[in-house]
Amino acid sequence: MLEVQDLVKEYADVKAVDGISFSVNDGEVFAFLGPNGAGKTTTVEILECLRPLTNGSAYVCGYDITKESEVREIKKNIGVLPQDYNALDKLTVKENIELIAEMYDKHLKVADVIKLLELEDKANAKFENLSGGLKQRVGIAAALVSDPRLVFLDEPTTGLDPRARRDVWDVLTNLKNLGKTVFLTTHYMEEAQVLADRIAIINKGKIVAIGSPQELIDKYGGLKILIVRKADKILADKLEDKFEHVSVDSNGDVHIKIENTEEPYQIMSFLTQMKAERDVEIQTPTLEDVFLKITGSKISEEGGAK
Amino acid sequence: MRFVAIFKAVTKNWLRSRTGLFFSIMFPIMMLFIFGSIFGGSNYVPTMTAAFIMTNGIIGLTSTNTEFKRRGIIRRLSITPLTKADWIVGCVLSQTLLNLVLTGIMIGIGWIAFSVRVIPDPLTILMIFLGSVLFSGIGMALSGSLKDVEAASAIGNVISYPMMFLSGVFVPLSIMPSTLQLVSKFIPLTYFSDGLKAAIITKSTGTTLFDMGIVAALAVVFIALGVLLTRWKEK
Repeated sequence: MLEVQDLVKEYADVKAVDGISFSVNDGEVFAFLGPNGAGKTTTVEILECLRPLTNGSAYVCGYDITKESEVREIKKNIGVLPQDYNALDKLTVKENIELIAEMYDKHLKVADVIKLLELEDKANAKFENLSGGLKQRVGIAAALVSDPRLVFLDEPTTGLDPRARRDVWDVLTNLKNLGKTVFLTTHYMEEAQVLADRIAIINKGKIVAIGSPQELIDKYGGLKILIVRKADKILADKLEDKFEHVSVDSNGDVHIKIENTEEPYQIMSFLTQMKAERDVEIQTPTLEDVFLKITGSKISEEGGAK
Repeated sequence: MRFVAIFKAVTKNWLRSRTGLFFSIMFPIMMLFIFGSIFGGSNYVPTMTAAFIMTNGIIGLTSTNTEFKRRGIIRRLSITPLTKADWIVGCVLSQTLLNLVLTGIMIGIGWIAFSVRVIPDPLTILMIFLGSVLFSGIGMALSGSLKDVEAASAIGNVISYPMMFLSGVFVPLSIMPSTLQLVSKFIPLTYFSDGLKAAIITKSTGTTLFDMGIVAALAVVFIALGVLLTRWKEK
């Protein structure tokens, strides 16, 4: 569906995208995960034929993005939710979706798309009166109305409150279930982890890791950690004597890195022997740990690297 | 026929905007009443109409399109199979409709308030169309090269107001110094305003056709410039 080879985008002396290669398969939700300024939007805009590339090659739905004669075919086959989506303020939800629909020779029924996005109640509301979450849903509806083969969603939940974000996730999960091929950019780790079949982590214009969420976590996430809550000094010392990779935090919680599948049982058995009734929790590594391990930084809520 | 969808959407959006409606229709009516009451209506019906067709293109369309551009609406549409030509034709047609409505209202007020009894003929309608294309072209060229709405509005005003004064819309050219009379010959509004006056009031077909030719030629130039400066792809 999407083939990118050694893609480079340069602005004056800045390399916004630095020789990236990847492919997206049919029916897959592929996430581009990285902080602001990593090159996510630049890449997406090149693939949407909005910006020219400096070097490399890219094929979208089998068409070459560098050939003007094929760009029109690409535009017919893709649906796009741009970053900071906006529509005509004084038009209603239905009218805005209809406007996009009328740009295509063939399109889905607007009423069906409105239903799919659960926008029936707001169909006749003016775009300017909608909340941020609803506006994004209109944007997704506009991206889907042409029944595209490939859907680009550029930061679909940025700036939304947690509840609106979850609502958009539900919509995207629905898309996934419909078998749509989706290219998603995000700086939210959880979003990528929940929605994507595969993730490419991009940092400073380069792809630094690629794989399914579980593959990335298994490869880069480090060990699981078993936490014994509120352990006293004696218990903490005994755990340190008995097991390796033990540390105690300022709350008195003991953290033990789990090296094999047997170890949690051994620890539980040890705690029972010690008659130490404590809350125990196993923390599995997340994409945040993966990102930290690979890039040495974290991504803030606003999307900046820290 | 994508331009028809653009025409419908842009027109609807404008009709529902109170600010747009005020500055495009109500403000010209107000100005016609003021100037017509002081100096008589017969000259001001065509010249005020011409002047506000100009401001609708140079200030109105420039501001609206710059706002569309800033908010990413043009960019969103450019990712669809819509062509730049479809977009421009849709916007120009929307401006033409607005300007025909404005002309109708101005002529109506001329009849009622100033006893200027004229019936627009096909030549008048053609003139309105060409004037709309010309000033929409200038609006398109300006909005294509500007990024923020404030700058668009300021530059629109800087271009429009001197044009209004130097084309004889407010003050007859005959009482102006010869240098300013010479300057007026380089101003598009002079020909549009004169042509409209000739079509509506003096019924001088020769003058109308001469001015129409100049307006049509300028319309071609500015529409071409508008197409050139409207970006469908970023850098």
